[in-house]
Amino acid sequence: MSAGAELRAELVRAVAAVIDRHAEELTSLDQAIGDGDHGLNMKRGFDAVLADAANLSAKPWPDFLKGAGTMLVMKVGGASGPLYGTLFMALGKELPAEPGRADLARAFRAAIAAVQARGKSERSQKTMLDVLIPVAEALEAGTFEAAAVARTAHAAAEATIPLKAVRGRASFLGDRSIGHMDPGARSSALLIEAIGSVLEKA
Amino acid sequence: MSDAAVTETTATGSILIEHEVGLHARPSVKLTKLAKTFASRIELGLSADGPWIDAKSIVKVMAFKAGKGATLHFRAHGGDANEAVAALVGLVRRDFDEGQPGG
Amino acid sequence: MESVGVVIVSHSPKVAEGAADMVRQMVGEEVPLAWTGGNPSGGLGTDVGQIMSAIDRAWSDAGVVLLVDLGGAETNSEMAIEMLPDERRGKVLICNAPVVEGAVVAATEAAGGSSVDLVRQTAEEYSAR
Repeated sequence: MSAGAELRAELVRAVAAVIDRHAEELTSLDQAIGDGDHGLNMKRGFDAVLADAANLSAKPWPDFLKGAGTMLVMKVGGASGPLYGTLFMALGKELPAEPGRADLARAFRAAIAAVQARGKSERSQKTMLDVLIPVAEALEAGTFEAAAVARTAHAAAEATIPLKAVRGRASFLGDRSIGHMDPGARSSALLIEAIGSVLEKA
Repeated sequence: MSDAAVTETTATGSILIEHEVGLHARPSVKLTKLAKTFASRIELGLSADGPWIDAKSIVKVMAFKAGKGATLHFRAHGGDANEAVAALVGLVRRDFDEGQPGG
Repeated sequence: MESVGVVIVSHSPKVAEGAADMVRQMVGEEVPLAWTGGNPSGGLGTDVGQIMSAIDRAWSDAGVVLLVDLGGAETNSEMAIEMLPDERRGKVLICNAPVVEGAVVAATEAAGGSSVDLVRQTAEEYSAR
């Protein structure tokens, strides 16, 4: 197995593991302001990616990411599947076969734009974008240290607590969505931490 | 039909709506679908002088208010104008075939 | 010419199936028709894979129009369309129209042999009244 393939396989194991460990927590966050299936849906999706890890990891970065994204669209379902799927598929479209840090920062920003277009949403609307955008800004500013990126992501997820949801199912709650962390922001922060710690070792 | 089978003709016809609820949603669909089976331009009005609407437009027919007791006027122009008017008048006369179960 | 197909996408399988029933009873059997709604665990929701398979069931070479309800149904329908094979993608359009009324009006227009663009236009014209 090539070094790239081993790294990709390790990424898959890491994201599947973090979602598995936090599935119940994500579900209870979603029970507060959504339809209570975020943990289960995410686990189903990332387990499917894990089950196909050998096949996916053997592909170069662009195809690996597109393949994983497509699988997330199909297996996660709900609103998160298409949004996470779009994120990974767009990353696959943007990244070259041998990506460097600058490629990562640029591709991540472009992938966020794709998620924004898909969800027709903006920052500060209590969504995963509230974590992804600050992380993109950190990468663009040259912060690649995994612990620092993870701190940015988790602080950004915490910062969704006082926000009022205006997109997705949580928006039906209006003011009652205030006071709860957005489950998509939480899962994004967890994924970013997991991905960062694997990439840093590479 | 006379000798001029390919000639374009204008035909008109009218019929009193006796169906209880008039030209409601389902009859509108039936009328429009039937009108679309003819090549002629077909129009629908509440008087012989119009105003006229396109009988092939489901949107216009749905918006057309015609209750029980109203008289529907058809005006068609084209190669199959006579058949079109006869068929449409027939549909209204049969109460839009709404009598039978599933109709 | 084959009739344009109609796909109904609702968060609720009951709404989607009911709207499809209305199309069948009011317009008839000649228009390819499919519906989808709900998530795999029986709750409200829509699913990209399910929408793709509904498009497949209602497929017509003349094209397919989709009638969708709230937010996520539209997002997921857009995603489903993007994931279709190249030769099908351009023939599938989402109508900006209410699900039930739009489906009946679109199917009526489709039954007359109209193009996919005209079918969408008619459904949207109805909702814009």
